[in-house]
Order: sequence, then C-alpha cells, then structure tokens
Amino acid sequence: MPTMQPLMLPPLVIETQNLTKAFGQQKALDGVNLQVVPGAIGLLGPNGAGKSTLIKCLLQLQPITSGSARLLGREVGSEGREIRKRVGYTPEQDCHIPGMVGCEYVTYCAQLCGLPFQAARQRAHEMLDFVGMGQERYRKIESYSTGMRQRLKLAQAMVHDPEIIFLDEPTNGLDPKGQAQILDLVNSLWKRYGITVVLSSHLLHDVDRICEQIIIIARGRVLVHDTLENLKARRRGAAEVVLSGRHQEFESACLRRNWACEPLPNGHIKVEHHSDSLNSLLGLLDEIKLPPLEIIPSPNALEETFVQALEISHATA
Amino acid sequence: MPLHDTSYQHWEGVHLGLWRRRWVIARAGLRACLQGKWMRHLIVLCWVSALGMTTVLFLVGQLLVANSIVVKWMGNFNPALQAFAGMLTTWLEQHPEISVRTTQDVLFYYFCIGLMRAGIFALGMAIPLLITRDLASNAIIIYSSKAVSRGDYLLGKFITAFVLIFLTWLGPVCAAWFVGNLLAPDWRFFWHSRVAVAHVLVFGAASMTVLSLLALGVSAISSKEKSTAAVWFMWWIFGGVLAPIAVQTQPWLRHLSFNFDLDQLALAVFRPAHDLTIAQTNIPILGDMLRGVRPQTLASLATPELQGAVAALLVMLALAAFLIRNRVRPE
Repeated sequence: MPTMQPLMLPPLVIETQNLTKAFGQQKALDGVNLQVVPGAIGLLGPNGAGKSTLIKCLLQLQPITSGSARLLGREVGSEGREIRKRVGYTPEQDCHIPGMVGCEYVTYCAQLCGLPFQAARQRAHEMLDFVGMGQERYRKIESYSTGMRQRLKLAQAMVHDPEIIFLDEPTNGLDPKGQAQILDLVNSLWKRYGITVVLSSHLLHDVDRICEQIIIIARGRVLVHDTLENLKARRRGAAEVVLSGRHQEFESACLRRNWACEPLPNGHIKVEHHSDSLNSLLGLLDEIKLPPLEIIPSPNALEETFVQALEISHATA
Repeated sequence: MPLHDTSYQHWEGVHLGLWRRRWVIARAGLRACLQGKWMRHLIVLCWVSALGMTTVLFLVGQLLVANSIVVKWMGNFNPALQAFAGMLTTWLEQHPEISVRTTQDVLFYYFCIGLMRAGIFALGMAIPLLITRDLASNAIIIYSSKAVSRGDYLLGKFITAFVLIFLTWLGPVCAAWFVGNLLAPDWRFFWHSRVAVAHVLVFGAASMTVLSLLALGVSAISSKEKSTAAVWFMWWIFGGVLAPIAVQTQPWLRHLSFNFDLDQLALAVFRPAHDLTIAQTNIPILGDMLRGVRPQTLASLATPELQGAVAALLVMLALAAFLIRNRVRPE
C-alpha cells in the first residue's frame, strides 16, 4: 500500500478572521478573512478602500475593532513588539525623525529594532547602498527630495532584516525613472532574497510588474484574493499583437474569423480570439504570412479583474 | 558607484533587550537637546553654581573647626575670630545635629529651590524636542512600526526629560553635597548631613518625576515647536505672577502654578521653619540675627499647603496623561 506523503504547505504569513476596523459608524475594514502565503503580494484597491488600514491593523498601529489577525504566526495585539521585530514598514506619508542625517536615522531605526550599535551602523550603510543612496546619506533628512525620502523609507524598513515588508504606495511622488528603480529593488526582495513583500498600491502597473499574489480590496472588503497567474488565466482569450506593418490586412483577417480587434494608441492591436491558447492567433498570422514583433497574452487581465470586482462591489453595496 | 558588494545581506545576531531599546530613545532625545548651545551653557552654569555651593560648604565646615586652614588664616588678621571659631568647634562637638544638619538642611533647601528654576527653564527649552517634533514629522509612525511600543517610546522620552533635569538640578546639588562634605575637616560631616541629602533626594526625585511628566504633557499639546515652548513658559510665568496676587483674593488659585505647588512640597520635605527655629534658639549670634525674620515669613514656611499642592499636582498629572494618551498616536 503506498504511503501518503504529507502535503507541505508554506506557513501563512498573514491570517485574518473577520477582521473589522470601525471609525465610529464607518467600517474601514469589514470582516476581512485572509490566508496569505509568503511571496510578493499586491494589495490593490481604490483610494479609501482600506488597504492602509489593513496594514496598520496588522502592525498594531491601529487597534482592531473585532476579529483576529496573525502575522508571521503570532497573534497581533498580544505580541506586537515581537512581530514588529520581524516586520518592515514604509508608510505612505512622509515621516522621519527630525534633526538626524540619513545614515544616523537608519542606524537609529535598526537600534529601535534591537540591533547593537555597531551592527546597526553597518546594516544602515549596507541598506543605504542597497537603495542607491550615495553621499547624501550624510545630509539632514529635511533637505532630501521626495525620491531620496522614499529610498530612505525603504532603507529603514529593511535595516533590521525583516521577514516581511509592507510597502504602502512606495512609488508615490517619484518620477518614472525613480519609480522603476524602486520597483526593481522591491522586485528583488522576494525573488532574490526571500523577503515577503506586501505592496499596497492603486497603481495596477506596479503590482502587475512585481506581484505573484493579488488581493483586491474595496469598501473594507476583500473582493479578490488569488495568484496573478490564475487571474490572467480567467481572462484568456485576448491578446495584444505588435506588428511592423500591414495592420489593415491583419484586422481584415481577424474580422473574417469574427474576432473583434481594436487598434490601440500605442500602435498595438488588441484581438479577442476567444481561445485559452494563442495557437489560433498564431495560426492566423501564419496563414497571412505576417510575422508579429510581439504578442502579449491577457494584456489587461489585472485591470479588467480590478474594474469588474469594483463594479460588483458597487452593485452589491 | 560603491566599490563593495551592495546586494542585500541577511543579518544574524542577538537582539538587544527592551531596556536597551528604551535607552536608545532616551539617548537620542538627550543628544538632540544637548545640541542646543543655550542648553549646554545652562548646564555649565548649574554646575558652576554647584561649585559655588561647594565653596560655601567648605567655608562653613572650616569655620566649625578650630585649627582649620581658614580659621588660622583668619587668626592672622584678627585673633578674636580664631577664638570664636574655637567656640564653634566646642559647640559642634556638643550639637553636631544642629551645627551640620540644620545648617546644611537650610542651605540645601535654598539651593534646591534655586536650581529647580534652572531645571524648569531647561525643560522649557527641551519641550519642543520631546514629543512636539515627532508629532510634526509623523515620527510616531516610525517608532510604532519598530520593536517598541507607545509605552516604551514615552518611557524613553520621560528618561530624556528626567536626565535633563538631573543634569541641571539634582546632579549639581548632589555633587555639591558630596564634594562639599569631602572637603570638610571631619568625615562625620557626611553622617551629620545625611538628613539634608535625604531631603534633597526625596524632594528632587518627586519633583523631577512630576516636572518630567508635565513637560511630556505640554510637549504633546501641539505639533508646533514654538507653541509648546510658549505654553510651558507662560504657565510658569503666569503661575509665578498669580501666586502672590491670589493670596489676597482666592488662595486656591495659587495651586494653578506648578511652581507654587512644588515649593509647598519642598517646604513640607525640608521643614526649613523647623530648622530656623532650632537655629534661632541654639546657634550663637545667628539667634539674634534670625529674630529679625518677620513672623509672617516664618508662619508661611511653617505651614505648607501640602494637601492642596499634592491634589493640584495630581490633577495636572492626570491632564498630562490625558493629553499624551490622546495625542501620541500613530495617526
């Protein structure tokens, strides 16, 4: 008789049961139930959806009205200090400890998490190097630009080597180059260093680029919690085709097969081929002897899922 | 471009204990306070005054011993003074509890009360740096996201305020007592002045705790640095002006001044009226001099309004706790 191998599931990093947070009559979180495994997690939602409140409740920055939550296997509420020793957080708003220079501030943050001074100072410089800050680390924080402050926030969140890091709108106020740099850094945290990342944002592109798991939240409720792969699978049947020319010919061929197609402002052509795979689309391109430059499957899966979830939420409200 | 490896490195080490983390907060606060030039000058001034007090104690001690350097030096000018010192020495041998204890108790009462003002002034300068700045820069969120609680943060800030007053008040007073008695001609001075130093420690510890907590409360009132400093100094000055006026109208109004309440506490702890009475009846020459003190003055020293002062201070502390509880939050 074959022996049953136990199913090895990764430990949950976030676990909530009926988590509710109310401000007076207004419920910012309304019975949130989550079971999140380690990874790069995107927390999506419109402004005021409850994303930041969820993070703050998990970090005990705000008291929970009812329900329970566990972070890294520990009970939120009774083991706050121990949890925060293993958690990093970059708040959405600008916040720092005044009167300090950058490296002094990051060292101080490490010491607040229990690192001895020598280790804290060494880690602070390592993290400032990691986020790409140069000699400006020796300047007062008050003189920093928005981009530098975002980098500094990231450095202070990582300086004590957390197991999970919460990033609340980390690309706010950054120029496109700065956004790309910060996202690359964040991307590497899980993929290269195994640090679970929870990226809260209302920018779908940021989340799409980095995250493997998606949590969509609106009106204090979790609408969707799934992997990005699954969400994209649900949205198969559409693709964006990038061609070097002969656009008209391609569109005519699509229409002959009753596939809706639409030229996009960026020059791509969006095609609804109603198939789980790209084989039929590739077949069509082969038929008209038109080699594509690129085919992007399920290009707007996240956006469409997001919009659909919000519409359902509005309809049921 | 950095020449070394800039990739992320995991850290494996032993975390510091909770009290070390609290001390980190306190130390950072102290460093911020001591960066101010005027604060450093004030602290130096307080220690210079301690040096002055030490000199006074040294001279008093020398006067009480017949063959001391000072008495011999005085004898060169006037032999009668040397004879008088000899009389004091005999008197010291007979009544050490009066000659040393009473003298030092009175001296330290006035020194304590005087330096308390310096401590209050130092707190006024430090108040914007305690909680106010953190409220303005949202630093509370950073603290709250680290491995310290709100209580740890407040304890750290309390220690900052406490150490700051210690540096400007209790530190110089205790140092003056120690060095002053170290330079005294007889080791027994330490023993005979034990009551004075006990009074200093009891009053100092109680007042420093009260003042530190009140300073934290005022510091949490606003996120504007000038406002909180202004509130502290206005409260102090207004109380000082109000107290003598209110004696004639509504005496209970005097308790709105924390300074007045702490003065009453000092009177209750040191009991200078008791010391003056002993001095009047026992100390040669001084007895006649002290008979010139007005009876009203002695009466006010003899009957401190301790209950009212303690009640007022407790109400103030409750208000401070309420302010801190409501203002020091991550949001």
